[in-house]
Amino acid sequence: MMDTFLFIALPYVAFVICVIGTIIRIKKWPVSYSALSSQFLEPKALMWGSVPWHIGIVVITVGHLLAFCFPGLWQSMMGKAEILLATETIGFAAGVVCLAGLIVLILRRIGSSKVQAVTSTMDLIILGLLLAQVLLGLAVALHYKYGAAWVSGTASPYLFSLFTLQPNLQFIQDLPVAVKAHMVLAYLLILLIPFSRLIHMFAVPLQYVFRPAQNVVWNNPRHSEASEANYQQEEARREFIKGAAGITLGCGVLAIGTVDKVYNFFFGPRLSAKEEEEIMSTRLKRLQMTANQRKLELERQTSNFILVSALSDLKANEGKYFIDFNMNTAMAFAGEDGLPILMSAKCTHLGCTVSNQVDEKGQVLCPCHVSFFDVKTGKPNAGAPAKNPLPMLPWAIMDKRGKVIAERAASGQITGDTALSSIKECNVYITRDLEGKA
Amino acid sequence: MDIRAQVSMVFHLDKCIGCHTCSLACKNVWTDRPGAEYMWWNNVETKPGTGFPTLWEDQSHYKGGWKLNGKNLELLSQNKLDAFIKLFYNPNQPGLEDYYEPWTYQYENLFTAPEGDDQPTAIPVSQITGEPVDIVAGPNWDDDLSGSPLYAENDVNLDELTDEEREQLFEIERISMMYLPRICNHCANPSCVASCPSGALYKRGEDGIVLVNQDMCKGWRACVTACPYKKIYYNWKTGKSEKCILCYPKLETGQVPNCFQSCVGRIRYLGVLLYDADRIAACMSVPNHALIESQRSAICDPYDPKIIALARKNGISEEFIDAAQKSPIYKYVMKWKLALPLHIEYRTMPMLFYVPPLLPVMGKMDNGHYANTIDGFFSGLESARLPIKYLANLFSAGNVEIIEYVMKKLIAVRYYRRSLDMGDIDLVQINRMMREGNVSPEEAEEIYRLTALATVDQRFVIPPLQREEAISETCNPELCRGSCGLGVPVNVERGP
Repeated sequence: MMDTFLFIALPYVAFVICVIGTIIRIKKWPVSYSALSSQFLEPKALMWGSVPWHIGIVVITVGHLLAFCFPGLWQSMMGKAEILLATETIGFAAGVVCLAGLIVLILRRIGSSKVQAVTSTMDLIILGLLLAQVLLGLAVALHYKYGAAWVSGTASPYLFSLFTLQPNLQFIQDLPVAVKAHMVLAYLLILLIPFSRLIHMFAVPLQYVFRPAQNVVWNNPRHSEASEANYQQEEARREFIKGAAGITLGCGVLAIGTVDKVYNFFFGPRLSAKEEEEIMSTRLKRLQMTANQRKLELERQTSNFILVSALSDLKANEGKYFIDFNMNTAMAFAGEDGLPILMSAKCTHLGCTVSNQVDEKGQVLCPCHVSFFDVKTGKPNAGAPAKNPLPMLPWAIMDKRGKVIAERAASGQITGDTALSSIKECNVYITRDLEGKA
Repeated sequence: MDIRAQVSMVFHLDKCIGCHTCSLACKNVWTDRPGAEYMWWNNVETKPGTGFPTLWEDQSHYKGGWKLNGKNLELLSQNKLDAFIKLFYNPNQPGLEDYYEPWTYQYENLFTAPEGDDQPTAIPVSQITGEPVDIVAGPNWDDDLSGSPLYAENDVNLDELTDEEREQLFEIERISMMYLPRICNHCANPSCVASCPSGALYKRGEDGIVLVNQDMCKGWRACVTACPYKKIYYNWKTGKSEKCILCYPKLETGQVPNCFQSCVGRIRYLGVLLYDADRIAACMSVPNHALIESQRSAICDPYDPKIIALARKNGISEEFIDAAQKSPIYKYVMKWKLALPLHIEYRTMPMLFYVPPLLPVMGKMDNGHYANTIDGFFSGLESARLPIKYLANLFSAGNVEIIEYVMKKLIAVRYYRRSLDMGDIDLVQINRMMREGNVSPEEAEEIYRLTALATVDQRFVIPPLQREEAISETCNPELCRGSCGLGVPVNVERGP
């Protein structure tokens, strides 16, 4: 019941009152709020209080807002230990700076009779609440470490549920009292914004960066009428200039392009004999590569067996790359039983080419996203980005005369004479998968 | 060209007697409120002296005005970014100790004190805290050179003077001083307006009066630092800034501002100048010694038909143009070139001009008489008791020639009138002086008339401000106390 009041009713009430109250005060009673600086009356202590306080609280507030507004991004960033540690350190340091500044401000406000002359009860309430809030925040940071990380699973989703008007207390029910008190105090402070000097936070003069230096205000309607007439005259002139400039610019660009082409045609730089030779030889190389490619494709379309290697040339720890019937990269290893292992080298994750170097665990690595595949079975390691095993390819072992001695069907079944003595002089071929696609 | 009108001012320092009537006329109407007790929108300083607030001319400390960075004018006090850090604490803002702690006396104690052995006294108490105060400073604390070793000798305008000149200035029996009444200059290039983070400060287009919109002022205090004349004051009670409003509620109803109206010496002149707002930045970006001429070049001739046409185009009324033609300010500043702005080197293009004082120009003592014979009169300028260099630091950014020109002209006019009234000066000599002073008899007569005999209507040429066109409400000065800006007068109170 208490929780419902403090964490559902209070935030809504506080937020609504803050928004409406602030708008009313800014619009209807603008003369009533300002930074209410007391530097004029007491500058020395103010410097050591106001500057650290404001810098600290700005850092802290931005941190809190980031965590609440971008929970996904925040969570993924806090997943890295270094970032989490840095965030916690910066946050805690800013909190300490805040506290130091605040203490100076409080002592100054109590200690200086001149500052007391401009101190209201509300000022003291706000100072008290802020002190409690900063102390609570620092205590939470010390006692329940890594709040930057756990906030993503607790306060962030809770606040999100508040904003989507589906308040869900589950996320924060089991939080320690100190954390809950920190939240309640925050709601109280938000509630008090329109009724206290805190409203000055909405007066931050960002427009100053963009405005021109001088500010002239005419109250006389004749000036605006005169300038309106001038403006219309000038506007017409401006339109004309704009149009003319556009056409001129277009023609200019066109002319430059034409001149450039014509000039280069007649007077452009000529290639030297060596450069032409290089260009021609590169073209030739490309044509040869294409021809080879076509040859390979043709071979794969017309024949049912394609030579991979002599069986004796296959190694157990380093695969031999070849091109399979689908024009994909594949590789061949020597198995423990003397029979070849032919598997696709196209990673089942995103299609990178898997390395042919077998490590001590009998695995090959896909370098793109670090999937390890077992050479014997083709299966990826647990947790790898690739979920499916590398497919095994059917093969045949033929002797020099072209007689099939042993073969492995697409189904994995091995038939024929697999005795080492009878196959060691033979060659390994890939075979077209006659039952399946290929 | 962007022709604007400016209600501007001339103070003739030769006529100022330092009576402070202007200051009180202002204080009693505008700044006798809580939070404003220490403010003197109008004050009269004794020069040499440190002024109010103390040493306000020391911009190495207060960072007021503009600096020339290459060809660009930049605020000395802040740029667009460090202005945000200075919201929290402005390192160059004058504090209460640079002005004084306002106080009153416990007069009621004189009546309510219990019977005792001693007479009851009215002890001074602070108007801020109500506690007894030890009065260590006040407005005009160094009035009439009191405490000279502490105040007058620290005047920053004396910095460039030689030791001999300084010694001479403070020698007993030959000591000299002048009065410098100061109000807001209603500058054409105001650094306060440029510094305001909230954009609350503005210059009225019609008459050039610089005002603080109390609704928009958020108390960031940048203007207090940025105004080199320290004529913006922070109201510690309302948390907003205030400044001289040139009594605009009075001006708008055709009346003269309080400090002008109350001036005993009739030193003050008020009138319209037309100037080219497009040229402000350019003419404030020249070397120091050329600034005076540069400012004059931006002020326009109100009789030039081209200028009149451009002024009409900008919505300036016929009455304003008429007032600009009759303006005593135009005569002093442009026609006779007698009136100079104060500290033009701050580059805010002040629109309040001073005729430098002639009185202290005296030769050395000779057998108990001042050696100011006609033959040696102009030579007296070099050995003037108030050194020309000092006046140049005040009124011409150190350009001595400009001050000499003004002095020679003033002396020539004076001797011309003496020759007419007394007939004791040789005509040849008068003619020589008039030539050296660059003044014709007609002009000398005109200067004499406007300086010595001018009526109220000649001293104050106020155009109707057509307030009824802009604002429906009329503003009673009584109701407007403490409220600045336009429209409905609001009561400025400290918020929660």
